[in-house]
Amino acid sequence: MSAARSTPAMGQRPSRRGLLGALLGAVAAALVAPRRLLASALGKTRRPRWGMVIDLDKCTGCQGCMVACRAENNVPVNGPDESGRDRGIFWMDMLTQRTGEYPDLSIQFVPTPCNHCENAPCVKVCPVGATYLSEEGIVAQIWARCIGCRYCTTACPYSRRYFNWRAPSWPEETKSYLNPDVATRPKGVVEKCTFCHHRLRAAREKARAEERSLTDADVRKLPACAESCPAGAILFGDLNDPDSEVSLLAKSPRAFRLLEELGTHPKVVYLREAKWKE
Amino acid sequence: MSAQGTIELLDRASQRETLTAEATPEHAASASGPPFVLGAGWWVAVTALAALAGFGGYAYYQQLLHGEVVTGMRTIGAGGATWGLYIVFVVFFIGVSFAGITVAALIRLLDIQDLKPLSRMAELLTIVSLMMGALCVVADLGRPIEGLLNLPRYARTSSPFFGTFSLVIGGYLFASLVYFYLAGRADAAHCALRAKRLRWVYRLWASGYRGTQAERDRHHRVSFWLALLILPLLVTAHSTLGFIFGIQGGRPGWFNALQAPGFVVMAGVSGTGLLIVVAAAIRRALRLEAVITPRAFRWLGNMLLVLTSVYLYFMVAEELTANYAALASEKKIAHEIVFGAYAGLFWTVVGSLVAAFAILFAQFLRGGRSLAWTVAAGLLVNVAAVLKRYLIVVPSQTHGTLLPYDPGTYTPTWVEVGVVAGLFALGTLIYLVFIKLFPIVPAAPFEGRPSSPAAADADGEGGRRTAAALFTLTLLAGLGLAVTGFLLSARAWTQPHLDPVVPYSPVVFILGVMLCFASAAVYELTAAGPRPAGGSPTPR
Repeated sequence: MSAARSTPAMGQRPSRRGLLGALLGAVAAALVAPRRLLASALGKTRRPRWGMVIDLDKCTGCQGCMVACRAENNVPVNGPDESGRDRGIFWMDMLTQRTGEYPDLSIQFVPTPCNHCENAPCVKVCPVGATYLSEEGIVAQIWARCIGCRYCTTACPYSRRYFNWRAPSWPEETKSYLNPDVATRPKGVVEKCTFCHHRLRAAREKARAEERSLTDADVRKLPACAESCPAGAILFGDLNDPDSEVSLLAKSPRAFRLLEELGTHPKVVYLREAKWKE
Repeated sequence: MSAQGTIELLDRASQRETLTAEATPEHAASASGPPFVLGAGWWVAVTALAALAGFGGYAYYQQLLHGEVVTGMRTIGAGGATWGLYIVFVVFFIGVSFAGITVAALIRLLDIQDLKPLSRMAELLTIVSLMMGALCVVADLGRPIEGLLNLPRYARTSSPFFGTFSLVIGGYLFASLVYFYLAGRADAAHCALRAKRLRWVYRLWASGYRGTQAERDRHHRVSFWLALLILPLLVTAHSTLGFIFGIQGGRPGWFNALQAPGFVVMAGVSGTGLLIVVAAAIRRALRLEAVITPRAFRWLGNMLLVLTSVYLYFMVAEELTANYAALASEKKIAHEIVFGAYAGLFWTVVGSLVAAFAILFAQFLRGGRSLAWTVAAGLLVNVAAVLKRYLIVVPSQTHGTLLPYDPGTYTPTWVEVGVVAGLFALGTLIYLVFIKLFPIVPAAPFEGRPSSPAAADADGEGGRRTAAALFTLTLLAGLGLAVTGFLLSARAWTQPHLDPVVPYSPVVFILGVMLCFASAAVYELTAAGPRPAGGSPTPR
């Protein structure tokens, strides 16, 4: 009986192995091919790595960046009730650290946009790929794909991700001022700072129209927060370009990044406040 | 074990089953057909549960309408927790599922006859609680429809949720269903003969079960391998839940290698505890005192004792690590839990677990004479299980920010409580309806028309070869699909964060896993006439 059973199996074996090999080959080819195509298409072009430098010494804590960000990115105004219930959305937030007791009290203001980590915990945990690290280093969010599980909000050590607890709303008077360049987000999705990538795209289009490449001067005040900062504390640029202003400032001895010990490699660099003696 | 030994074993089992059937005059397939008469109490319970489930549905409707603004969840850092009661109960429901399949596997692998009458109610507990767990995940999603559409399409293997949704809900639930289905065929065949209505359902479930020796032989072998394969799947499933929290380096209190093993053990604690409660309730309600012996509860009680003591040990290890020379952030969370805002909950957990341990240990020393005390321990550990999950999920969000944010608070609203209560009601309702329609205690082996030797010979050799071929084909196809689906979803050789190479390849992976377990059903359903003695592999 065993002989009768094994004969057809023996006959099948080579073809099965062949089929398996072919399948594996096809899978491997499918996985490798797009990458190679991509590499050849890109040639030797250097991809920018967008980053930001925030000089805490210059920051006055005026919160102009927060207001500009809200207006630029159509961040919903959820009203005093929901904000009071800790459901406000702030792509650009202001972290305050109090040290000492009155009268020797000092408050440090730290403007906190998304850090656009190179090794972003939020990107790792997203179950559907609604958040990803773009080829230029921006941690982007696909609103349409987000399922609202909020795993990213718990994974982000900086709490820089905001969930839409309700349908977005704006006061009637401000509705006509919504920015047509930025999509509004429905209820039930997570949203976050995008480094104003729509402005980046516009700047790139403009440079292309003028038949030149994007320069540091084009982008250093590009995001709404940087543009609006009256003290000039916020600068934007390409961390991959060794001559860009942000690259130079990132090498300053005053430079640090938030929670560096976590190994998330943030691309927002802070310049430490100098200690002033009066 | 020799073939002779197997037959002896089977004989012993069938003797036992016959005894069982004789002892259940009121609730056994042999006495009357379904739907069984269960008295007015059943109707009262079902009505009340349906009302509660309806209320849960209303609460969820409010959430769908207004968004999760109606819950008590808020933004992390701004002063709240973005995960609340839903996630606590996702972990609880999926944890409860531990008991069913473990008990079924123990019965089969270690041949514990005392637990045999509990096998079906335990498996049903697994299936129902997994379904409720899945529904609870959906309740937590901000966009449930997109969730159901996008998870199969884009699921990324790099997220711990991938394991939860593919292995737990796809693999674990499906494998449990296959096990449940196969184990219930004999009783379904019984019911098909005696059912007052819906005969076709029972006939479908029985799927041609005739009660031949060959069929029983096959089921014996299939259940062995299924039980063996489900056990690692069970550990994996509960571990993926633990890893959701355990691998988050940026959240003090969560980042802990003990998280996954702790989830597995806590699942065992609450699952076994709930099984004790459910079994005692059914025993009382259906007067099954003669069938479900105190020895069954002694088994479960001792199992719970071991699991509870392991979990207490884990808690000691955790507290010591978080307090001795830990990072300030870890210390802060631990202090907040033990002495701060969560102290009440924490000491309730400790009190319940220690009390349960003391009860069970006393029972162990005295030979487990008091059922009431064992049930009390089962209830206590479930209180502890819910609260401990709360202590895992919530404090690390409200007090676990590494940046200088102010501590937050979380209080669930009526919507969250309503949805969770509704899920409990729905699960219990499904359970009760099942008891009405199907014998909850495995009844006598079905003695159908004995197939004539001639007929058996006719479909013997050829039929068996087709059966073997079909089984091999299903298993290989399942394995192939699972591996291909996983590789296509994972992009193992390039960047793991990218989308699946082919959309919906996560579905291919899940289908493959399901097909692997379905092959067990294929093997059993293609059982032909009696096997010739010898020449067949015997189960160990």
